[in-house]
Amino acid sequence: MIVRWICEKCSKKWIYPVEKCVYCKGDITKQKGTNIKVIGITKVTIPSPMHPIIPYNILLLEDEFGNKIPKKTMKDYKIGDTYKEQKAKTKDAVAVVKVKYDIYEAIKESIELLNDIKLNPDGKILVKPSIITPAYPYQAINTNPDFLNALLNVLFELGIKKENVIVAEQPLIGSDAADAASKSGILEICKKNGVDFVDISKGPFEDVESDGYTFKIFKEALDRKVINIPIMKTNFQLGISGAIENLSRLVDEKTQRAMYFDDIEITFQKLAKVIPDVFTIADATNGMQGQGPLVLGEPAFLNLVFASRNAAALDAIFCEATMLQIPSYVQDNNFDSKKIEVVGNELDALKYPIKSAVPDDTPHPDIKVIDGKACPACLNLMYNLTSRLVGLRGEQLNLIIGSMLAKEMLDGKERLVALGDCAIKKLEDLDIKAITKIEENVDEIEQLMLLKKLLTTEGTPKITPVDKVKLKMKNLLSKVTG
Amino acid sequence: MYIKGVGMTKFGAQTYTSQELVYEATLEALNDADFNIGDIDAVVVSAIDTESNGERQRLFSNVLSSILRKKVPILTVTAVCGGGGAALWTANKLDYNNVLVAGVERLLTNNSMRITDEIMMAAERIYEQTEGMNFPAENALVAQQYMLKYGATPDDLALVAYKNHQNAFLNPKARFYKKKVSLEEIKKSPVVASPLRLFDCSIPANGASALILSKDKTDVEIVGSAEESDYLAPFERDDMTSWDATKLAAEEAYKQTGISPSDIDIAEMHDAFTSVELISYEDLGFCKKGDGKEMIRKGITNIDGKMPVNTSGGLKAKGHPISATGVSQIYEIVKQMRNECGERQVSDVKYALAQNIGGAGSTVTVHVLRKVSS
Repeated sequence: MIVRWICEKCSKKWIYPVEKCVYCKGDITKQKGTNIKVIGITKVTIPSPMHPIIPYNILLLEDEFGNKIPKKTMKDYKIGDTYKEQKAKTKDAVAVVKVKYDIYEAIKESIELLNDIKLNPDGKILVKPSIITPAYPYQAINTNPDFLNALLNVLFELGIKKENVIVAEQPLIGSDAADAASKSGILEICKKNGVDFVDISKGPFEDVESDGYTFKIFKEALDRKVINIPIMKTNFQLGISGAIENLSRLVDEKTQRAMYFDDIEITFQKLAKVIPDVFTIADATNGMQGQGPLVLGEPAFLNLVFASRNAAALDAIFCEATMLQIPSYVQDNNFDSKKIEVVGNELDALKYPIKSAVPDDTPHPDIKVIDGKACPACLNLMYNLTSRLVGLRGEQLNLIIGSMLAKEMLDGKERLVALGDCAIKKLEDLDIKAITKIEENVDEIEQLMLLKKLLTTEGTPKITPVDKVKLKMKNLLSKVTG
Repeated sequence: MYIKGVGMTKFGAQTYTSQELVYEATLEALNDADFNIGDIDAVVVSAIDTESNGERQRLFSNVLSSILRKKVPILTVTAVCGGGGAALWTANKLDYNNVLVAGVERLLTNNSMRITDEIMMAAERIYEQTEGMNFPAENALVAQQYMLKYGATPDDLALVAYKNHQNAFLNPKARFYKKKVSLEEIKKSPVVASPLRLFDCSIPANGASALILSKDKTDVEIVGSAEESDYLAPFERDDMTSWDATKLAAEEAYKQTGISPSDIDIAEMHDAFTSVELISYEDLGFCKKGDGKEMIRKGITNIDGKMPVNTSGGLKAKGHPISATGVSQIYEIVKQMRNECGERQVSDVKYALAQNIGGAGSTVTVHVLRKVSS
């Protein structure tokens, strides 16, 4: 489809979505061309960073209104050929659509390519964005509010009633849900569209068993169709945060911790199987690359919408398109990403590498992390503590988090600091001595003071009674000053 | 306004900083004008804000203030490949006695993928860049439409390249100076974006050019100066094979001058791609639409033809250091008017035209210069 914005009064056209004509101030309407022909072709043999695979073709397409656009393809066409996007033939297909300044049209097209969501107009819907921490939309940490807004408009156009839609999420353990929803802009979009925002952490939850594992799942997620709208990001711990990872916050905090403790490689897949009715439409308009999923990551302008009924297939195709390694939690033994049907755009025509995350980096250059698949609580704690010490140089430390640790992971590493209850217990089980341990239930200022001492002092400093008095004074002072 | 002095570095792969390149070109222009920098009242400079050249000098006008030791108004004007022409057009509007106009680029500073990407940023981001539309591809689609419509052939494009390489062979400032390129080599060069081959594309280079614009009467006068803009992407225009910005700028420049295209003796055209030179013959009014191919087939634009085009070697073979190109076109015209071009000298040049383009026909300046009789 070729879209132009056209003035209803004077017929001037734009390739950009404008609201009023600057000449006659007339209203604007969309002109959508669907009868598309190939009128030009060039075969390109020189690579560029966003288009590293050569040769590729660029078609010059023209619609019935004479509107033209270029289109990249790896296939060969002839001038005069008809150009039409094929719809999905398999249930696990992934649609990938480029956003041409109009997220609404891209979401709609992605759904159409998958032969529609097949929604019951009276059916109830839970929209599940990613809102993991209080952050502005430009930081690309949370699902973009414009993406949610466009999706809600598509749902309403499909006949879904506002009162039957809720937007539900809980942030990473340790972050505040209301604060995150507000700063991310999601709350404002919910209000604007008259739909409720629901904090998942408040429950209720229902026990659901899968392959011998019990999940406490948010009841609404079991009763409603889930429209999963993650933002697609790199994740230093998981490889990527995408469709599957976003579903992991549909369970209560205790289950989340247990899922990490028992190895997310297994538990993520089990969870994806027990949420009955999920359709994922992923926000890769402005995703994240590098040291994601939080503030250390860089926004990556990808300009794409991914959609699928199969969350794992969607994550795999995102990795293929961005040339990232597919995390093992995404694929089980029978999974072959090369066999997933991709519609909307050809996978090879989309491919270019984004920056992957470095697994052991923290915000602090002198503090490395050895991650035994820590749960979001410890991950958040590690980020908070290390980022607050930036600017203070010292002796290199290795923070150990999570429980999925093996002796080999720690071989040759010095100045080990166990952070969090899982790591402390695991190191004891492995009979490995850390220079100190930082427990989760200790006051955050005390945790920070200890880490600061460890960084700046050789040996194994401890929190002294004098430190405790200082901490009490500090806490008191902060309460008095508000 | 008059041209008091001109200067330019050799266009090549030298590793000097941008300010060093401007300094070298400026020194030559000052010597040519018999000026020192104290005589300059204002500076207009063009340089694109590249990320890949590693200089990290976004406030380049003040880098020039430092290196030229000047505390006068200094403006930066950017229009990618059309930046030099846009700087001259801007300077011509300023009410100063003596204005230094400079263009500079360090383009050859990174691998070719990064350079391709750097130039690609001049294309439309959503419709073009994300669809792989680098500049050869952009111009290839235009060239194909043009060839389909008017019957021009790849051999016509090869003739344009061959002519400009022959001229560059004679120009000591050109990147292809004394480097022979045969018609056969041009025709057999690899395809970069069909139908365009490697030798249909201009050659990237580093370099700077400078001129001094003056209210004092000299031997070369700018009699026409026009700038016009068009939509960024060619696919958005009604006709991809004819560029409105060139046509409008040329019409305006001729109107200011009071001459017609047939009065022009030589022209420096923006041959970023050989197809652009063919299209420009027509849009600048040197022949009717579709007859550009005849101009090259009949040798009209050869150095010994009726109206030589790109005697410097053009962007094609002199080299194309983006923002430096527009000012370097004026350098060549001034040298031709003063009979200082040695083996590539064209006799009796009274009127000359320079066309400089930013993007694929998006920003175009046309300048007409007149030789002032003593």
